[in-house]
Amino acid sequence: MLEQSKKDKVTSDLLASIRLTNSFKAWMAFLSISLIVCLGAYVYQLNEGLVVTGLGDYVSWGMYISTFVFFVATSLIGMLISAVLGLSGQKWAAPLARIAEIIALAFAAVAGLVIITDMGRPDRLLNVFIHGRIQSPIVWDITVVTIYVLISTLFLYIPLIPDLKICSEKINKLHPMAQKAYKLLSLNWNGSHEQEQILKKLTRSIAIFIIPVAFAIHTVTSWLFANTLRVGWDSTIFGPYFITGAFVSGTSAIVIAMYFFRKNYKLEEYLSLDLFDKVGKLLVLVSLVYLYFNINEYLVPAYKMKKYDALHITALFTGAHALMFWSVQFFGLVLPIILLVFNKMRKPLPLLIIASFVFIGGWFKRYIIVVPTMEHPFLPIQNVPLNFKVYTPTLTESLVTLAPFILVLLIITVLSKVIPVISIHETIESLEEKNN
Amino acid sequence: MFRINISTKIVSLFIFSALFSINLSAASWDVPADKKSKNSFIKFNDASAKEGEVLYNKNCASCHGNPSKGNVLKSLKPTPPDLASDGTQKLTDGELFYILNTGRGLMPSFKNVLSENERWKVIAYMRSFNKKYVQVLSNTDPSKSELVKVNMQYDAKSNIVTVKVVAKEKTGTVVLKDAEVILFAKRYFGKLQLDKSMRTNNEGLAYFQYSKDLPGDKAGNVELIAKINDEAYGELESTTKFKIAVPTDKPSLTEKRAIWNVLVKAPIWLIITYSFGVLVFLGFLLYLVLNLLSFWKIGKI
Ligand code: HEC
Repeated sequence: MLEQSKKDKVTSDLLASIRLTNSFKAWMAFLSISLIVCLGAYVYQLNEGLVVTGLGDYVSWGMYISTFVFFVATSLIGMLISAVLGLSGQKWAAPLARIAEIIALAFAAVAGLVIITDMGRPDRLLNVFIHGRIQSPIVWDITVVTIYVLISTLFLYIPLIPDLKICSEKINKLHPMAQKAYKLLSLNWNGSHEQEQILKKLTRSIAIFIIPVAFAIHTVTSWLFANTLRVGWDSTIFGPYFITGAFVSGTSAIVIAMYFFRKNYKLEEYLSLDLFDKVGKLLVLVSLVYLYFNINEYLVPAYKMKKYDALHITALFTGAHALMFWSVQFFGLVLPIILLVFNKMRKPLPLLIIASFVFIGGWFKRYIIVVPTMEHPFLPIQNVPLNFKVYTPTLTESLVTLAPFILVLLIITVLSKVIPVISIHETIESLEEKNN
Repeated sequence: MFRINISTKIVSLFIFSALFSINLSAASWDVPADKKSKNSFIKFNDASAKEGEVLYNKNCASCHGNPSKGNVLKSLKPTPPDLASDGTQKLTDGELFYILNTGRGLMPSFKNVLSENERWKVIAYMRSFNKKYVQVLSNTDPSKSELVKVNMQYDAKSNIVTVKVVAKEKTGTVVLKDAEVILFAKRYFGKLQLDKSMRTNNEGLAYFQYSKDLPGDKAGNVELIAKINDEAYGELESTTKFKIAVPTDKPSLTEKRAIWNVLVKAPIWLIITYSFGVLVFLGFLLYLVLNLLSFWKIGKI
């Protein structure tokens, strides 16, 4: 039997983060002010219309849609860590489950909002639901993203129930209202064998169910592109290509989150060096798979150089987008893979830096998928000013693009302040298992 | 070495551009004298120019841009001139009319696209950009064309459409000799010319070879349009319906269930797949909620 003192230490360690510190307040203030500035830019766009962006008739998808794809991609990490690794018995990943779910929920929920920023008339949003046609991948996308957000919420919530009870009982000087909320949400958890059984069963069935849903959301997102005939998008491997890319940006996101939670919430003991090492290896694995898909996706059309494909491929390889294309491939994929092979690079700080490159590279990668194709339509672009043909994002657009990132940070920060970022219940359980 | 190379390049560039500018400077239109002096029977004023503007924006602006703005479609060779430019405005009304009728190279012929009235109105619009222009009105009476009667006959044996053109003057029926006749079949977009354009003989008759494979509507109807152009009586069109075409019944592309159709005409397999997915999710959600409910009840005891 595990000694009570050890249990108490785990509990108080993991509950320690739930408390309003000054640095938290300062960080929230910073995020809120930045968000307000960005929202100001959005209000401006709302008043003036999309004309304040670099978007137009030809390039009608730019930074916003790239960000949307990136967000959906990153949100897949919840499925990878909690479901795939969890179900395959990778015990080492267990402490990451909640962080992964928090990231997944934040990115998936905000992804829906990003779409709205790309709309010229968001007041007509309801028409998508009223007049949507199920023949359109857009409708499937809305359906699966909504389902994924709901399932992710439950995937975060259900394993959290025992911890909510602990929160209501063990946190010192808790506001009575907050205590009531914790208690209510813990659904009468009493630790009985029966309840434990239900909890296990539900967690397991969500873990299974979320895999096809997560595959669906990113495959459908890829079909928004691949179900057209346009160069660069008209590809049969876009589904798996997007999924593997999603694992890369998701894994890099979790590294960044791990680093800051460990540092700020003093979780060195729980988010151990060994864990960083393992996640670093995971990042190498998923990056290698993605690199393989990249080679395939570009090599095949580049070998054939069909008339219109050639236009697109040359723009990427040697033309206007070459610098971004090669930087993304090199700094966002090849170099991280090489570096991460070395033990030393999988220590927290170097891993954080490498993961940041991968994360940022991931965003630019989406840009490279979305924008150049838009600049190469089948019908020639004639008699229009240069800025119609070539997409140049504006300042307003960039500010509006920052907003979802800030929102995600806000959601993650707030969630990590109201619930323990590592499951107390499961940590104690696994310690007990080890003891027996 | 390098220098020489550069200078030869520059020189050859000059030679090339000189050649090109010769090539591109609008070749003259060589309009026959009688056509050159033709004048409009429509008065060029604000009203006709305004109607012409609508026609211009629809038919000409895509290449010639807005007159006097210089925003012509530069990717065409030769470049379509700005029609408010001096070069174009120097041309007579008759020359402009001729150019619109015949076209040349990339400049399309509008003879069968715009009616005579419409062609003059476009010219009225072009002239509205020229302050110095003074119109000389034609003395032809446009109402004379109303006197013309056209009769079309089809002979199945010889497969010939005969068009007879006469004018019912007060003094009696006059046969129109040597009038130009063009025969069209009406279709969804514009007209399809049948055979070549003909001229009436001394009896006012013109003969056209009809092609038997012409598709018609469900019942095999086709509308034939004869367009007459006569020196004295002007231009007119006459339509006659015949039941001589191949009956054609192509269902519209939006009749059946299809990916591109409206929601209620979505393919069945898609409706089933989509609904199945949503139902599975709702079922799963119900399963979760029911389990949480019993979870909650267990704890209450
Ligand atoms: C498809 C493009 C196109 C369209 C549509 C078009 N044009 Fe043109 N037009 C041209 C080109 C090209 C030329 C020069 C042809 C040449 O010089 O061989 C030209 C020449 C002319 C000229 C002779 C000008 C000069 O100074 O030599 C006139 C007049 C003219 N167009 C009038 C019109 C009008 C009126 C319309 C609409 C009813 C029209 N065009 C529609 C392409 C076009």
